[in-house]
Amino acid sequence: MNEQKVIDVKSLSVSFGNKRVLTNINLDIFQGNSYGVIGPNGAGKSTLFKAILNLIDYDMGSITVWDQDIENVRKKIAYVPQKDEVDWNFPATVKDIVLMGRYPFKKILERMNAEDHKMAEEAMIQLDILDLKDRQIGKLSGGQQQRVFLARALAQKADLYFLDEPFVGVDIATEERIIKTINQLADEGKTLLVVHHDLSTVSDYFDKVILLNQRLIAYGNTEDAFTDKNISFAYGGQLTILNKLGVTKK
Amino acid sequence: MMEILTTEWALRALAASIMVGLMCGVLGCFIVLRNMSLLGDALSHAILPGIFVAFVLFGYSTIAFFVGSALAGLVAALIISWIQQNVQTKNDAAIGIIFTAMFSLGVMGISWLNQSQGAHLDLKDFLFGNVLGVSNEDLILSGFVLVYTMLSIALLYRYLFITTFQPKIAEAMGISVKTIHYYLMLLLSFVVVASLRTVGVILVVAMLITPAATALLLSPKLKNVLVISGIIGMLSALFGFLLAYAFETTPGPAMCIVATGFYFLAALLAPKTGLISRQWVRRKESRRILAEDIIRFIDKSPGDEVSTVSIFSNISVPNYKLKAVLKSLINANLLIKSERNIALSETGIIKANNLQRAHRLWETYQHNTMGIDPELVHWEADKQEHHLDDELLGEVERKLGYPKADPHGSPIPKKK
Ligand SMILES: Nc1ncnc2c1ncn2[C@@H]1O[C@H](COP(=O)(O)OP(=O)(O)O)[C@@H](O)[C@H]1O
Ligand SMILES: [Mg+2]
Repeated sequence: MNEQKVIDVKSLSVSFGNKRVLTNINLDIFQGNSYGVIGPNGAGKSTLFKAILNLIDYDMGSITVWDQDIENVRKKIAYVPQKDEVDWNFPATVKDIVLMGRYPFKKILERMNAEDHKMAEEAMIQLDILDLKDRQIGKLSGGQQQRVFLARALAQKADLYFLDEPFVGVDIATEERIIKTINQLADEGKTLLVVHHDLSTVSDYFDKVILLNQRLIAYGNTEDAFTDKNISFAYGGQLTILNKLGVTKK
Repeated sequence: MMEILTTEWALRALAASIMVGLMCGVLGCFIVLRNMSLLGDALSHAILPGIFVAFVLFGYSTIAFFVGSALAGLVAALIISWIQQNVQTKNDAAIGIIFTAMFSLGVMGISWLNQSQGAHLDLKDFLFGNVLGVSNEDLILSGFVLVYTMLSIALLYRYLFITTFQPKIAEAMGISVKTIHYYLMLLLSFVVVASLRTVGVILVVAMLITPAATALLLSPKLKNVLVISGIIGMLSALFGFLLAYAFETTPGPAMCIVATGFYFLAALLAPKTGLISRQWVRRKESRRILAEDIIRFIDKSPGDEVSTVSIFSNISVPNYKLKAVLKSLINANLLIKSERNIALSETGIIKANNLQRAHRLWETYQHNTMGIDPELVHWEADKQEHHLDDELLGEVERKLGYPKADPHGSPIPKKK
């Protein structure tokens, strides 16, 4: 298989003030895979995304995407942030938001054209939210809101996707729809990084995993890296609880 | 009263006011949505020292005032962001420190010019506006600012939208959030300066935020919000001006009061978001719940019929409400009334069945997934049965593995 390297993270360290959040992360991400990014709350998963996307400063390390500085390839990257970072009262409708996926392709004076509207519409159809297109974003269920932001990423026709906790607060139908979309994108040769919390579904959902807790615990093919030993390493003392709930595999 | 509209000075004043209402209204939407109201207030106060310096250097000149004030506004914006980034002071405190200091400098300078230099500069004109002193130059300048601001907003609409809504996403897409921010600051200081004559530095912020906040109550779509806010801004200016003329008072504050009037009207009357319509929805909701409680009560009572008296003695809400709801249920053909008794109609029976299904499924759900004692599940289910739609119930049922009976052993009916 000719697996092209998409992201190259070398000795990345990030802190906020005096607090170290990520320490010495080395990571290679290859094309055409969906990566589950796994780790407890506060492990630095969202921070890793923001560092790769160059939205925050980091202390040390270097990151390239397709062997380039990220600033050169932003158009081809879609980011769906954690839902708690959204202002739900904002006067934005579903269609407005999905159309934003087309923004990176427009020069300053260029208007949105029929082609852009068509792409937005297709993305809305794919996630089954077309009939909600004039709704204000706060007037949707959690699952519908998540679909809107994913639809925007689809409308962008990106090659690399960062999805931060797309399954949190969504209904079963949405979860199924999202995972189907993720798999489909990976099959088309796109690359996806997905923060995920439910350890019981990791093996079903992702080809590869990145286990994280301030340090990189393990990464690689799910069957090799997502072992009980690594999970307990990542989750530390919390594992006993997880075992009781029967969420880890085997 | 309309005869004033034939005098030239009045027409100039009115035109200037309406332009200010429009540009403040439209630009203000972004100020409000970005939580920058305080910064808007700050920039307007901070332009005073710019006027002072301009007067000292060039004397009384509209252009010099304009340039001086715009520069002073930008200086304030830069100092404020420098403090916010480099000193450990809370953001709004940093804004407060700088704008009061610059405002004070301006007030000191202008009073000094007036008192000891004998300059014809009235501080009051700058603080509250002097709309009757609008010159042709002022008018032309306002026109330029209006056109420039509207064009900028139209052309940068996408950038303003996304950097306001989700700055992180904008950055991830490669849009420079900082550039847009400073450009907005530039527009803001232009608009503030153009408003100086009409409303003055103290009340500009009202023209920026009040129409915008009003429009935000009226539409969930940004484009419409911008248009509505612009219109409310213009109407506030127009009516404020006429009001001030009628009562022989100062126009700037009158415009502010009219805008505030619009705001409270919208807060009360706005469809969906207004207090009155929310009250109405709440009332409807409480009546619906009462209606469902009545249906459940009749359904649970032995026999097909229930006496009206027993409904009144068993459901404890004020009689007038109960009467009204009973009447509407009979009108809607859910209940059938005979002389003293009330029974469920065919559709009433279906409704009762579905409510019972919701109730028992929810009891089962609480017991099975949360481990709540069967003795305790009833109370919560009584409340929840009114709020479970079919889709959610279907999902609950599926999650529970299509249970046949609730924790008390009563059968769970299918949906009818
Ligand atoms: N902007 C910030 N300022 C200070 N601390 C932060 C900031 N963002 C995140 N953190 C801290 O960094 C740690 C990692 O956060 P995050 O990456 O959001 O974790 P995760 O997404 O894995 O739950 C947490 O302890 C969090 O409190
Ligand atoms: Mg996170």
